[in-house]
Amino acid sequence: MYDIKPLEEEWKRYKKKKMKPWYTLIFVIFLMLLISLIFLNYKKIDFLKFNDKSNVEIVTDKSTILLIDKALTTLEIKKSKVSEIPKITEIKPMTVTSYENESMEIVEDIPILEDIKTIKEPRVKIKTVEKSRKKMHLNIIETTSVSAYKDVAKRFNQSHDTDDSLFLAESYYRKGNYKKAEYWALQTNKVNGNIEESWLIFVKSKVKLGRKNEAIRILTAYIKKSNSVEAKSLLHKIKKGTL
Amino acid sequence: MKSRYEAAKNVFVDSIDIDDYIELDSSTSAYKQLEHSMDKPLKMILLFGKPGTGKSILLNRIHIKLKNKREIHYFDTPAINEKEFFHKLFKVLTKKDLPNNTEVNFSALVDFCKNLRGKREIIILLDEAQMYSPEMMEKIRLFSDSRAVKFVVSLHKTEDEDLIAKEHFQSRIWEVIELKNATKEDQSKYIYKKLLKKNLFEVANAIKDKDMKLIHTFTKGNYRECNKLLFTLFEICEYYDKNDPSKMNYEHMPQRIIEMAALKLGYIHV
Repeated sequence: MYDIKPLEEEWKRYKKKKMKPWYTLIFVIFLMLLISLIFLNYKKIDFLKFNDKSNVEIVTDKSTILLIDKALTTLEIKKSKVSEIPKITEIKPMTVTSYENESMEIVEDIPILEDIKTIKEPRVKIKTVEKSRKKMHLNIIETTSVSAYKDVAKRFNQSHDTDDSLFLAESYYRKGNYKKAEYWALQTNKVNGNIEESWLIFVKSKVKLGRKNEAIRILTAYIKKSNSVEAKSLLHKIKKGTL
Repeated sequence: MKSRYEAAKNVFVDSIDIDDYIELDSSTSAYKQLEHSMDKPLKMILLFGKPGTGKSILLNRIHIKLKNKREIHYFDTPAINEKEFFHKLFKVLTKKDLPNNTEVNFSALVDFCKNLRGKREIIILLDEAQMYSPEMMEKIRLFSDSRAVKFVVSLHKTEDEDLIAKEHFQSRIWEVIELKNATKEDQSKYIYKKLLKKNLFEVANAIKDKDMKLIHTFTKGNYRECNKLLFTLFEICEYYDKNDPSKMNYEHMPQRIIEMAALKLGYIHV
């Protein structure tokens, strides 16, 4: 019997040599798979990123729409509470259709709805839309609002559009972030000192922050300048402590 | 206890023993062809093929089978010189031993053969005839011309010798029988039959079709190479069976062992 060990060793070497091309092939296939996987993943991430951006953009767009809407409605309502109603009703269907097509982001952003309680006709028409809006909105605003605010703030810094700053002031005030509301109302006033709503939010924020005297002083000065009924009513409320 | 592989190993000891002869379709056909050719009034028959294709065992088998029916003689090893060859031939033809210190006279022997024509028909089977010189072959032809002696010449077919053989015998040989390497099927049958002949059913059963294919690839269907490979294969099996049974699979012959045997015999290299 010859020694089997050297033969076993020789066989191992032979097997290694025989398997070499297969290992190489497997390695090449694995490498190709890995590369394609990485490439695909990269594309996926890219796509996701793109999607995220589009989300953000959509949100900001909506906030823009919202601002425009809000500005339109509030301005028009306030200037011609009764006489301009037919005009508003003409505009409403347009805004309504725009809401229908877009995803409903705005619910929370429409304090106007509360503010416009006095306008009854258009309200009735909008209500049907609002219902569906409220349902869908909750999730979206929670997830995207922060980025949306940031975006609006960023945009304001570039464009100094008072619609943006006023939107932020109102939004923060509603959310109870009075310090930020005060800041954004001040920013609005710096750009345009004639926006009453901005003055009112500024004053209301001061009251909420516990600086009642300062608020009264500012509001009195504003009333002197503008003789605004709304401002007077607010002053009365502040003094009474019913704000 | 004696390993079953030891018995299996001994099955494949290369021999031309008639007991080791395996009936295969190809070998039966060659046998019949040779037998038929010997019945014809031919002077010489050439049996050729590569080494290990079964020429010797075929000659041996035909010798054993026909020795009681006809006057047939088998010269298994070639004579070292002419003198010895004539001596052997003299003994066959005259059925007598050559007296001491005497030499065979070639022309006298040819004349003796001529006298035998019609009286006796002697068949001489010459194995390994490639070892005879051309002059010797010429003299053998002269004997065959007497028509009393018929020669079956078995030749190795190698690349160089193939042409020589053909040229040399072209005008003289009347019948050529070529033996070829076995097909995969024939070789499988050969291995199974050999093992079953010795009741090694389990060992035979452990060699699957895939293994047979591998064996055929290594040996190229050559019976002698096949015997060598299987002998080595069972020798390795015997070692493992006795010393390291964990490395043996008794139900399926490990491919590793076939490859180890092939490596040992140089069919494959690292």
